[in-house]
Amino acid sequence: MTTDKYFKILPNSAFIHTSGSHKALSEFFDNEKNWGESEVKVGRAWKLDELRIKSNEDLHKLWYVLLKEKNMLLTMEHAAQEENRLFPNPERIDKVEESMKNLEDVVKERNRAYWLLETGETGERPSSLIEDELGREVHKMFDEHPVPMDHESEDTISKWQDVRNFQRLMKEKEFLEKRRALRRVRSHVCKLLRRFPDVDMEKLQQQYPEVDVQALRKRKDSRGHHDKNLS
Amino acid sequence: MSSRLYPIYQQGNPQLRIFLPNFFMKLVKPSDPQPPNVVQFIVPVQMTRYDIKNYLEKIYSVPVENIVTHVRMGKFERNFKGYIIKKDDYKVAYVTLPRTEKFVFPDLFPENKQKEADKELEKIDTLKAEWDASIKRHKHRQGVPTWFGL
Repeated sequence: MTTDKYFKILPNSAFIHTSGSHKALSEFFDNEKNWGESEVKVGRAWKLDELRIKSNEDLHKLWYVLLKEKNMLLTMEHAAQEENRLFPNPERIDKVEESMKNLEDVVKERNRAYWLLETGETGERPSSLIEDELGREVHKMFDEHPVPMDHESEDTISKWQDVRNFQRLMKEKEFLEKRRALRRVRSHVCKLLRRFPDVDMEKLQQQYPEVDVQALRKRKDSRGHHDKNLS
Repeated sequence: MSSRLYPIYQQGNPQLRIFLPNFFMKLVKPSDPQPPNVVQFIVPVQMTRYDIKNYLEKIYSVPVENIVTHVRMGKFERNFKGYIIKKDDYKVAYVTLPRTEKFVFPDLFPENKQKEADKELEKIDTLKAEWDASIKRHKHRQGVPTWFGL
């Protein structure tokens, strides 16, 4: 990050400029030998374990390398789209993004460990499951407020008839979905019993704990073309 | 200079301390004729012109004189099933470099390489034609050696 070559500091130095910005802007483009190629071979993304053994300084440097690489790839992809050409090896963008995600995860891990050691808190943005205005359970990330929020003046909305109607319909929908899911499992188990009468009942019960397998065995749905039917 | 959330207040100065900025910048071919020291970028909509200035100066060490940004609406298109879809909005930034600088958008798809690719495609076409001809010739002589018919 050198900004000492910044032009505004040297107002009368236009005659010694060496077209530095042009070189810097060329970082937005791929290596010239890759222009117009149909295939560009690259390595794999950085793994978590490889990043964990790096120092903070190295990670910081690597982030900017990855950021520049991503900008370059996005620029080349956009140029290819404009020219109606194929962008060679588009998985390069995914690799860079995966690397950046892994790097950020490692930084977060370290930050968390430091905070836990120093203050006993994780230092991350607090969040929890809360009930929103419509009575649904949602996962909410908490915001910071310059002035503490007044909790008492808020719960007027849940008294509205519309909200109650919504909650009733939502409950109905959830109930129906639950019932359909149970029916699906039940009919699947019946099919299994019909097809395989000698199946291990205990194991089947373990795999599908939401239904009673012994009871299903006696049902009409589990009758198959064999002489092992119970009903 | 990042899409993450920052605390309202933290101890020490400066208040806005950014580590690992995650904004992207795309350098694009100018859609209209521009002066030689103007470079066109596509950036995230959240990015302000101060962000762009800092990004280019600190990360790429490119001197920046002026920045003009516009938010462009994404295009509406009809997809193959018939319903209308909208592309995401994007921000265009016109960055003016100092008067002495010049930037020309390079030719990223040189013609000689395209010719080579076309030649290879032609080769594949001729091979395909030969294969089709031989298939046509031996269509009704299955299981018979190729030297049989002359």
